[in-house]
Amino acid sequence: MTAIEPALSGRTSAPASFAPAEDADDSLRVSAVSYRPSRLGVVLQTAAALMWIPQAALIGLAVGGIAAGEPARAALYPALAVFVLGLLRAGLDRSGVRIAFDSAREHLSRLRREAIAAVAGRSPLDISAPSSGHIASALAEQAEAVLPFLARFQPLRAKAAVVPAVILACVFAFSWVPALIFLLAAPLIPVFMALIGWRAKEASERQLAEMGDMNAFLLDRLRGLATIHTFGAVDRTARQLRADADSLRLRTLAVLRIAFLSSAVLELFAALGVAMVAVYVGFHFLGQLDFGAWGGRLSLAEGLFILLLAPAFFEPLRDLSTVWHDRAAGQAGLAALAAASGSGIPIVGRVEDAATPEKGRRALSVKIEDLRFRYPGQDRFVLDGFDLDIRAGERVALMAPSGAGKSTLVALIAGLAAASGSIRIGGEPLNAATADRLRGSMAWVGQPPHIFAGTIAGNVSLGRPGIGPAEVARAVKAARLDGVASARGPSPIGESGVGLSGGEALRLALARAAAGQGAGLILADEPTAHLDSETAAEVIEALLAVSAGRTLIVATHDPVLASRMDRVIDLSARQTAEVAA
Amino acid sequence: MSRFRHLGPVLALYRTGDRRMFMAGLVMALTTALAGVGLLGLSGWFITASSIAGATVATALAFDVFMPSAGIRLLALGRTASRYGERLMTHDATLKVLAALRERLFRGWAAPGAARALAMRSSRLLFRLTVDVDALDSLYLRVIVPAFAATGTALAVSVALGFVHPLLGLGTGSLLLAAGLGIPLLASRRAEAFARRRAHALEVLRSRAIDLAKGHTDLLMANRAGAQVSAVTAADKRLAEADRALNRIETDAGFAFGVASAGLLAGVLLVGAFLAERGTIGAPAAAFAVLLAMASLEPFAPLRRGAVELGRSLLAARRLAPGLGGQITTPTRRDPAQADVAIRLRDVTAAYEGRARPALSEISLVVRRGERIAVIGHSGAGKSTLLSLLAGELPAASGAVETQPATLLTQRSELFADTLGGNLALARPNASDADMIAALRAAGLDDVVRRLPRQLESRLGESGAGLSGGQARRLALARILLRDAPVWLMDEPTEGLDGQTARDVLARIEACSKSRALVIATHIRREAELADRLIVLDGGRIVAGAVRGSAEYEEMLSRLRPD
Repeated sequence: MTAIEPALSGRTSAPASFAPAEDADDSLRVSAVSYRPSRLGVVLQTAAALMWIPQAALIGLAVGGIAAGEPARAALYPALAVFVLGLLRAGLDRSGVRIAFDSAREHLSRLRREAIAAVAGRSPLDISAPSSGHIASALAEQAEAVLPFLARFQPLRAKAAVVPAVILACVFAFSWVPALIFLLAAPLIPVFMALIGWRAKEASERQLAEMGDMNAFLLDRLRGLATIHTFGAVDRTARQLRADADSLRLRTLAVLRIAFLSSAVLELFAALGVAMVAVYVGFHFLGQLDFGAWGGRLSLAEGLFILLLAPAFFEPLRDLSTVWHDRAAGQAGLAALAAASGSGIPIVGRVEDAATPEKGRRALSVKIEDLRFRYPGQDRFVLDGFDLDIRAGERVALMAPSGAGKSTLVALIAGLAAASGSIRIGGEPLNAATADRLRGSMAWVGQPPHIFAGTIAGNVSLGRPGIGPAEVARAVKAARLDGVASARGPSPIGESGVGLSGGEALRLALARAAAGQGAGLILADEPTAHLDSETAAEVIEALLAVSAGRTLIVATHDPVLASRMDRVIDLSARQTAEVAA
Repeated sequence: MSRFRHLGPVLALYRTGDRRMFMAGLVMALTTALAGVGLLGLSGWFITASSIAGATVATALAFDVFMPSAGIRLLALGRTASRYGERLMTHDATLKVLAALRERLFRGWAAPGAARALAMRSSRLLFRLTVDVDALDSLYLRVIVPAFAATGTALAVSVALGFVHPLLGLGTGSLLLAAGLGIPLLASRRAEAFARRRAHALEVLRSRAIDLAKGHTDLLMANRAGAQVSAVTAADKRLAEADRALNRIETDAGFAFGVASAGLLAGVLLVGAFLAERGTIGAPAAAFAVLLAMASLEPFAPLRRGAVELGRSLLAARRLAPGLGGQITTPTRRDPAQADVAIRLRDVTAAYEGRARPALSEISLVVRRGERIAVIGHSGAGKSTLLSLLAGELPAASGAVETQPATLLTQRSELFADTLGGNLALARPNASDADMIAALRAAGLDDVVRRLPRQLESRLGESGAGLSGGQARRLALARILLRDAPVWLMDEPTEGLDGQTARDVLARIEACSKSRALVIATHIRREAELADRLIVLDGGRIVAGAVRGSAEYEEMLSRLRPD
């Protein structure tokens, strides 16, 4: 997050996705909007601010005593009390801020957990799901913006509602003139801030988005450095980067000129409030403004008390204005988290990890009857009344043109989305109760496989219990990945390191499948797509080696791969046949 | 102070940037703080003095109300104006520095060595760069400006109180500086490790979240999705611990400020009473002193947050410092002696930094103008490395490299978030619209561009988003046509295109490359077919070669992937 204050312009209404979930069962996601700052934290912070009232009274009394010619020791006890109250105030504020912070931080963790659980439980077939980039940004940077909003803004807002009112009442008890000054100034502040803020709001939000774009521009150009080099355009690009940033700066400043007016208004009223109170009290003492003190005349102690309260009256409002920009960012963060937590197509069964199946594996049969599946919002059934019978140990290629549902079928066999009809794996029906255990007896070779942040060994074992260095070494050899593994050693790959080539990645996926000792069924989705023929041939051999003694189902349109299977099922032909029948 | 040493290059940007704006922001901030403190002090003095004067009618009439009340109003209005000016100027200065910073970083990273290192870096590290740039902007706004304003105010307050009594001024001044600067300094020391830990935990959280979202299917099928959920949650827990520690440090600093402030207030009150009893000062001066003391620590308060964030800024400065120092050294290119030889390599060995095995070993190769060669081999055999070497991006460790000016068509169409025309102008800045249209026509993209409402002014998204793969490829091709270099280097020019589009693009490449030397790195048959000569790389060495028409040539072609 940037320290540049984006104009004091909050969003007046939350975005649509931020609205409370309508589904009553969705109690999980309601917490995204139901946060209330810790009451104790707010009470303590408010109490701390109110400590200033007795402090001010004591200071007023002490100075009044000095003016009245009292001896210095008369000031001893007030001074001591001012110090003790100051300690108390500091202590209360520290506790209040900490409690408010802890409660807000805990809430943030809860929101993150909900979003993470939603991401994990959503079907990979759910095309409406947010992209991984959006999810990462929602969970990391955007969620971070939620913390200052919940921890600072919310308690300060509660404080700003109480403290000025109490101070107003204290001042009013002595004189109605300063109270009237406060009363007039205080409501004008939000009005002016809003008036100016609204004008600047839209423009400043656009400018802020552009500020973010400066980073995007830099990354965009850095990703294409090879091309910029080859055209000798480094200098030109650098100058363009500078020129863009400068013109953005000028436009931003034009907006800030208006936006900062709103904080200037606040400063103006706060300063004028203090000045007018001081001038009124001074002239009142001189007998020139002989009204306001309920028929009497203020004492010096009372006058100083009122003056000392004047800045404290405006302080909560000023504090609030300094965190005002936390609000827009915080609400945007909440909206992003809510979007990531949205429910879509669920997977079959739970996300909890089932126990690893026993090592003595057996090949599993697959029997599918009357399977029907369509993507939400689509009229066409991808699979409609589909039947399939695969014997244990059989090797089957599912072939069809793109979009005919071969990848969908493989995912459904794995229970990655619910479909009507029945799927039996090794004779056992696939349902919510059995899905996670049955998935444990399958292995998956996807394209492209994801490379996790970590080492090659870590990518093969994926932290599965019972897969140690020996199992990894065997799997790496079976997948013919040993050359790559010895070259890379323990150096990181994936998100935190350098990537693998397409063929290497695929062999990694094979090693992953090979390491899953208990798997009796291997599902492979387009394993040879995007590979050169030599690499594809090696992958095919490795796939056959890994699947020895197990059932293998491959979705592919590679005729070479299909020709190595026991049976080729043409999905498009079957579907047509079904329709014709 | 060694932990601040990496700030040097960043602070230099402020010095070399708009120095006037930098200073003006500081002065304005100081004026604002002084006006605020002065407003309260003067008000306290005025009230007390007028109260004493108001005791009798005669003194009340003699009391000069004009000066103080005018002063109070002036300070109130002056404070507002200077605050407005301060915010504008400090933001202007910061934006200027951020603009300069991005330019400097780009130049630093574009230096050949750095660029190669950057290309090897993961997306996570690239992302880190931008987060680091952002972390630097709080340095001026949250640390330098408040520190300057608060220190200046403390000095002014101690001078003003020195007029009341020298010892009072000295005492207050030392306490203000000790507490006001000492507390944030201590806090920043304590916070540094946690700020670092926090930045790291956030990166880990991000990377694990990406692993969960992208590797979702792999995790579900390995029964490890639950474990990954726990891993992301664990990263959040670490983050929460660091957050909490930083919050504790910030609130401790706030507490220390509160204690110092209470002590100062009580102390000045007592000293004032004592001096008044002795008759050294009057009650108005005592009230003036108390109110100054009350307001004088306030300008230090923003440093609390600045101190906690300083650790993050220092981390960012340390990571970015190498990019800031970068000097561009243009790689030296040697032309081959004979005019008709486009490329001549003799016993060239090249290695990437930090790799034990050379990426290319003992490569000798001659390519004449008008000749087309295809470099084939497994993935990882060194094809792309050979192109980098020829493009001058990778220096040779030994051997001689001679090439005529070369242009590289990278494997991924590296297009940018800019207009179509802007993307083309990268290759030739002075190209006219007619030149660009001609290049687009040769690349087979002119019809598409003509149909766009804004034609050459149409904007592309990041990495050229908005064009199909085939269109992006043709645009990249049009771009190198504009460059008109005698040597073309192409890395899998039709990878990812469907067969029909690929053949069209290849036909255009063939038509446009007639008089040039063309080197294609490929594993696709249709691309290799273009070549007069095939070269097989394996483990960074040339292991075989064949010319068109020979049996080996056909044999090599047949081993390559069909469409």
